[in-house]
Amino acid sequence: MYEQIIDFLSLSDPNVRTVVLGSILLTSSSAIIGAFTFLRKKALVGDAVAHSVLPGICLAFMIGGAKDPLILIPGAFLAGWLSMILIDKITLHSRIKEDTAIGMVLSVTFGLGILMLTFIQHSGNANQSGLDHFLFGKAAAMLGSDVIIFSAIALLMVLTVSFLFKEFALVCFDREYASSMGLPVKRLDFLMTSLTVLAVVIGIQAVGVVLMAAMLITPAAAARFWTDNLKLMIIMAAVIGAVSGFTGALVSYLYPSMPTGPWIVVVASVFAFISFFFAPKKGILQYMIKQRRIRLMINEENIIKAGYHIGEDRKDFTSSMTATDLIRRRPMPESKLKGHLAKLTRQGYFRKHSQGWELTNAGYKKGSRLVRIHRLWELYLTEYLNIASDHVHEDAETIEHFITPELEKQLEQTLNYPSEDPHQSKIPYE
Amino acid sequence: MNAFWIITTGSLVAITCSLLGCYLILRKMAMIGDAISHAVLPGIVIAFLYTGQRDSMVMLFAAALTGVFTTLLIELIHKKGKLQTDASIGVTFTLLFAIGIIMISVFAGQVDLDQDCVLYGEIAYVPFDVWLLDSGINLGPRAIWVLGGVLLIIIAFISLGYKPLYATTFDPGFAFTIGISIPLWHYLLMSLVSITTVASFEIVGAILVIAFLVVPPATAYLLTDDFKKMLMISSGIGILTAGSGYYLAVALNGSIAGAMAVMAGIFFTLAFFFSPSHGLLFKKLRKKRALLQGHEEGATTI
Amino acid sequence: MIKEAKNPVLEIHDLTVTYHKKPVLWDIDLTIPAGSLTGIIGPNGAGKSTLIKTIMGLIKPSSGYSKIFDKPLDEVRKRVSYVPQRGSVDWDFPASVFDVVLMGRYSDAGMFKRIRKADRELAMDALQKVGMEKFSKRQISELSGGQQQRVFLARALAQHADLYFMDEPFAGVDAATENAIIDLLHEMTGKGKTVVVVHHDLQSAIKYFEWILLLNTRLVASGPVTEVFTSELLQKTYGGKLTLLTEIGNLLQREGLPARETK
Repeated sequence: MYEQIIDFLSLSDPNVRTVVLGSILLTSSSAIIGAFTFLRKKALVGDAVAHSVLPGICLAFMIGGAKDPLILIPGAFLAGWLSMILIDKITLHSRIKEDTAIGMVLSVTFGLGILMLTFIQHSGNANQSGLDHFLFGKAAAMLGSDVIIFSAIALLMVLTVSFLFKEFALVCFDREYASSMGLPVKRLDFLMTSLTVLAVVIGIQAVGVVLMAAMLITPAAAARFWTDNLKLMIIMAAVIGAVSGFTGALVSYLYPSMPTGPWIVVVASVFAFISFFFAPKKGILQYMIKQRRIRLMINEENIIKAGYHIGEDRKDFTSSMTATDLIRRRPMPESKLKGHLAKLTRQGYFRKHSQGWELTNAGYKKGSRLVRIHRLWELYLTEYLNIASDHVHEDAETIEHFITPELEKQLEQTLNYPSEDPHQSKIPYE
Repeated sequence: MNAFWIITTGSLVAITCSLLGCYLILRKMAMIGDAISHAVLPGIVIAFLYTGQRDSMVMLFAAALTGVFTTLLIELIHKKGKLQTDASIGVTFTLLFAIGIIMISVFAGQVDLDQDCVLYGEIAYVPFDVWLLDSGINLGPRAIWVLGGVLLIIIAFISLGYKPLYATTFDPGFAFTIGISIPLWHYLLMSLVSITTVASFEIVGAILVIAFLVVPPATAYLLTDDFKKMLMISSGIGILTAGSGYYLAVALNGSIAGAMAVMAGIFFTLAFFFSPSHGLLFKKLRKKRALLQGHEEGATTI
Repeated sequence: MIKEAKNPVLEIHDLTVTYHKKPVLWDIDLTIPAGSLTGIIGPNGAGKSTLIKTIMGLIKPSSGYSKIFDKPLDEVRKRVSYVPQRGSVDWDFPASVFDVVLMGRYSDAGMFKRIRKADRELAMDALQKVGMEKFSKRQISELSGGQQQRVFLARALAQHADLYFMDEPFAGVDAATENAIIDLLHEMTGKGKTVVVVHHDLQSAIKYFEWILLLNTRLVASGPVTEVFTSELLQKTYGGKLTLLTEIGNLLQREGLPARETK
């Protein structure tokens, strides 16, 4: 097993080279085209196209009598296009909604494909063996001559995308604007759709028709979580596609009886789910951590504010205060308060004494800023939003933590540096 | 006799799926049904490995769980991860289905399922897997009993929950304001779709489940404007599909499930063009007639 | 100018609602008098529909609460009726006019019980009130916009509620329907029912409503129509957004910050 892996990775066997190169090309070019399919929100249409390719392949085989890609590819391409048109026509000319139309075209065309496939298998044609590899993919079944054809198509697709990158991007992003710029939106649509069908057609060799949709969507969806830049997104999708394709080839080499499609899809999906949960900025976990950090920040700032309020009451901001004093101002369990205080002391907002804590100069400044924003915001709400003065406190409790220095300045200017809030408390300025 | 059992089994699958499918297509959730029918596969394989047999309550239960898990996962990625709906569906079910296929290959010795069976089932073998009592009485194919049971559950569900289901499907906002829980009925429906999927899965495979969930209801939707009639008509079309599909398969010596899906498509095509109320042909004729009338009226006023 | 109603059926306290973290309603405090025909007026995107959806529990607020008949909504659900926007449902749905109106009886008839004859009669009465009794068997896909609105109204009437919330019932209906609806609403308030209507036409608002809420993210005014319809208040409602409020709203959305720290 170990030796086999080494063998594979060394790429010394020309057959291995063919299969690896082929797989990587197929999956990465599908991923590139898929990025546009994803952005046009046509992921599920892609699924229907992939399924509908099967009867096209079978018909081409029945006519041509051989598994030659030069025969199968045109058949598959036509069938894929036809399914797109069918979905459009059904939704256009009847009350059937798009999701139902997709489901129908997907299942009926695939059913037709299965019927034809089993018909061919039972007819005893000797050439047919291996036709069912198109269901779940078999990277290892690629021949050198196949790879040349696939590479040519893949190259053509990638070149088209790089030449028309800006135009495609614009059409995906804002069709109406693109059309107002004088772009031939319809023709670009036609081209993008053709590329999607083509990507499906060549991708099924490695992935198979059943899971081909994943090759279009999953790498793009994963990449979307890392960047807002379309070029970068496409490059990332291509890399994820390539890594998945490589894994598929490896599995196909180690376990010749295994279908490769599911492995390729699982690898791409692992990237996707890692991205969904752990991507910086957009990941779900990151979002949760951020929410937690905000809550922590609010709690800490509230303790500083409580310290400031105590100072305000005593008219002495340097007096020391006990935990009980602070809890009376801002109720919370004592252990929690002490934890926060320890951190705030480390950060230099409080100083610890034998009798308790006292605000440092930094703590005083921070507390005064919070109270200032709080009172300014209360005033803003009563003056500009006509909200009764006994209702503005809760809102200000939140906003005080979030206002940026620029907004603070704007607030002060709008209100013209007032001296008192709606409850006649003094607004502290530095 | 075999033909009879196969058509009966096919019809049971057809009715069960069509009934639920009527709700799915009206809720614009056809693709969620598609996703569930794929995504239950790993649940089936795990239940298989765990119990070592096919038809057990464990399997139906595992299926319902996997189905609900799938919808929850799709919603999580969509809502918390802010990924668009179509991509959330696509990414989730392809992954689960891929895992299922890999498990089948890896545990090939322990699991009585293969790739072909997953895709287009083994309906041809249904008559041979009979339920024999200890006393030796032959109760007929086992699948009939399982599917019959599921069908009864579905019918009970639809008749008991008719009002809340109808209201949440037509106007969820209004339904909520009269005190109907939208998530409750949503997840109940999803669980039943999962159970149906699993019960039908090994018999007709994944494609036919989707075909029956979507196509007969869509056909019925073009033939009537009455929801109760839509339920009946789609069941009827389901039975027709199962019967004609079987004979088509026999004639071509091909997959029965594939042929049934094709027949479903043919019936839809007929309705699409020739439905008296919503068919393309009659709509065109009506339009033409209206236009002609308009011309005549226009002519007289001038 | 926010006036307290003397005999309120609806009280809203400190209601803040965010959509995708962006505040769409900010600190709303108001009361609505019993037996009034109240209009909610404001520009597009002012949060008018959001306000009634929140009252009906369809949207969860970030803070604040509302009370209907001095109780939380769940205790008085049967006395409150909601008419959604006409465009919110798929009118290709396989249902007849009567099927839709009958939904108004679902809650009283019992969710799992058969529909009784009495319920059918009540539904038919409601259809009669909106002048649609002849259409009871008609498929809803064949209705005009005005007829669709009448059907929705009939469904609400069939509920026999005391307080009605209607989302844009006059949007896209013909003049005859608009007049018929407004007559009906006046008849209802004459019988002591309270009707709250989201409306966007200023001209007709003066004629139609007794009590007016001027809304634009915040509540600009609430009170009798004569006191509220001043050029100053209208200017405040329609005269652009408050820049600071908008900017802080954007900040909250961009940074994913909560609108209330207690949540």
